[in-house]
Amino acid sequence: MAVELKTIQHLCELSKLNYDEAGLEKVMGEMGDIIDLMDTIKTFDLTYDDTKDNNSISLSEVREDVPQPSFPTEKLLSNAENRDNCYVVPKVVE
Amino acid sequence: MDITRAKIRDLRKALDSKQISAAELCGEYFKNIEAGDGKVQSFITVTKEKALEMAENAQKRIDSGDVSPLTGIPLAIKDNICTDGIKTTCASKMLENFIPPYNATVIEKLNAEGYVLLGKTSMDEFAMGGSTQTSAFAKTKNPYDLERVPGGSSGGSAAAVSASFAPAALGSDTGGSIRQPASFCGVTGIKPTYGRVSRYGLVAFASSLDQIGPICSDARDCAVMLNAICAHDPHDATSSRQPVPDFTEKLGQSVSGMKIAMPKEFYSDDIDDEVKTHVMNAAKTLEAQGAKLVECSIPGLKYAIPAYYLIACAEAASNLSRFDGIKYGFRGEGRTFEELIRDSRSKGFGEEVKRRILLGNYALSSGYYDAYYKKALALKQQIIKEYNAVFDLADVILTPTAPTPAYKIGAQDNDPVKMYLADICTVTVNIASLPGISTTCGYTAEGLPVGMSVIGRRFDEQTILQCADAFEQTFAPTAPAKL
Repeated sequence: MAVELKTIQHLCELSKLNYDEAGLEKVMGEMGDIIDLMDTIKTFDLTYDDTKDNNSISLSEVREDVPQPSFPTEKLLSNAENRDNCYVVPKVVE
Repeated sequence: MDITRAKIRDLRKALDSKQISAAELCGEYFKNIEAGDGKVQSFITVTKEKALEMAENAQKRIDSGDVSPLTGIPLAIKDNICTDGIKTTCASKMLENFIPPYNATVIEKLNAEGYVLLGKTSMDEFAMGGSTQTSAFAKTKNPYDLERVPGGSSGGSAAAVSASFAPAALGSDTGGSIRQPASFCGVTGIKPTYGRVSRYGLVAFASSLDQIGPICSDARDCAVMLNAICAHDPHDATSSRQPVPDFTEKLGQSVSGMKIAMPKEFYSDDIDDEVKTHVMNAAKTLEAQGAKLVECSIPGLKYAIPAYYLIACAEAASNLSRFDGIKYGFRGEGRTFEELIRDSRSKGFGEEVKRRILLGNYALSSGYYDAYYKKALALKQQIIKEYNAVFDLADVILTPTAPTPAYKIGAQDNDPVKMYLADICTVTVNIASLPGISTTCGYTAEGLPVGMSVIGRRFDEQTILQCADAFEQTFAPTAPAKL
């Protein structure tokens, strides 16, 4: 199934991704083939009731809501550009 | 004897009897890594200095008699498992310089045992792939044939064990990423039941399917590793509270009377003839030991690939939305907030990761959700029911681990559909949250390993370990030539 350009552009919007013109054309072709494969699922005629059927994963009891020691802020921010325990982001306003 | 080809249990004896020190042992593995990993490229980061420090600490424990099964044992760790202070890249430019500020729970458990970290192994980017060729940093080769893929996504871990760069490694498995590379590299890998091992600190791909597990040279070593890493973890809400047994308990027990199911869909014309022959021969070997072979069917297998990819990619699209170039990870350029995020993600992620994010958002987007994502969840329930029906008839299920042996590098490039279809033998185990182990059952005429998978009931890792071990006791593996 061919995927329309506007569908791919919408998906790029949702996914926060950019493609140049050549990249967009390539990914349109690839997504068309992938969606053809996914479409085989449409011949399966069971319906899913997520209020009844979602029994495959049972979440364990959540832990008690007791305050625990946390990470030092400095360590948490060790992978970010940071100054004085704040994120530094690029200037995006005039 | 080359000690780097010894099992964990033999290394334990050698360390405890002072035949070798922990530092000398890890030195032997580093010799192999330095001699051969330039060709195999199984590691992204080698932690030699850290390893020697850990080995010294382990030696103190050994000398004082405070020994656990993995004290002083060198291990390799897949590079999507967080290690405090040591780069964890997920083989992605996005996390090229990411140094976790904490350890994954499995690493804390291994630390408590006194293990020695040899390094972090390569993988498909964010664990998305079956060849380790989507790694941004180390496109791992198969030690049996350097022109072939090692499988994936835990290809670095499997190749490292196969090439005797480590006696064992940790991998992660979302749709076969432990079992398939174990099969391609001629080693043994187990994906535990979902919930058996904590996922805290495992960089998430598809949270309802991901599971950490060991890759070793046999089922007995896998049992030792599982004993060390399995437990309930309050940091992971999906971590199970099921009692954790001693996984070595059933090793060595006869399979006489064990019912082994062989679903016909796993032996179709889509499976390579040599692969089928070796797995069928393994079934006959187990039958000769007293097991009973049971014919059965899992008709839902024909929908397994779309069901798996729709669920996994939907979860991946959500999980990977956290990578925005702001808090950590690769930062691109842009004049606005939106431009900055889009540039960071477009340049930080590789092509396969981007394709899966697009597919995931397609399945979740308005107008498509019911037709794709909800349908995939319905199929998940159907596949679980079909497996339950098989387990009414049998104790374990035997299948090939992959439709083919290791293929040539480049054979599946630019063909994502072909790559996805190659996961047909493994994905249903993740969909149904079951445990599965792959072990070598033969070699092709070209000398490539063929893997078979033993699948068990939820939380019954003991029986699949017993079955794989029973076969391994009859089988003489051929290690790859030393590199």
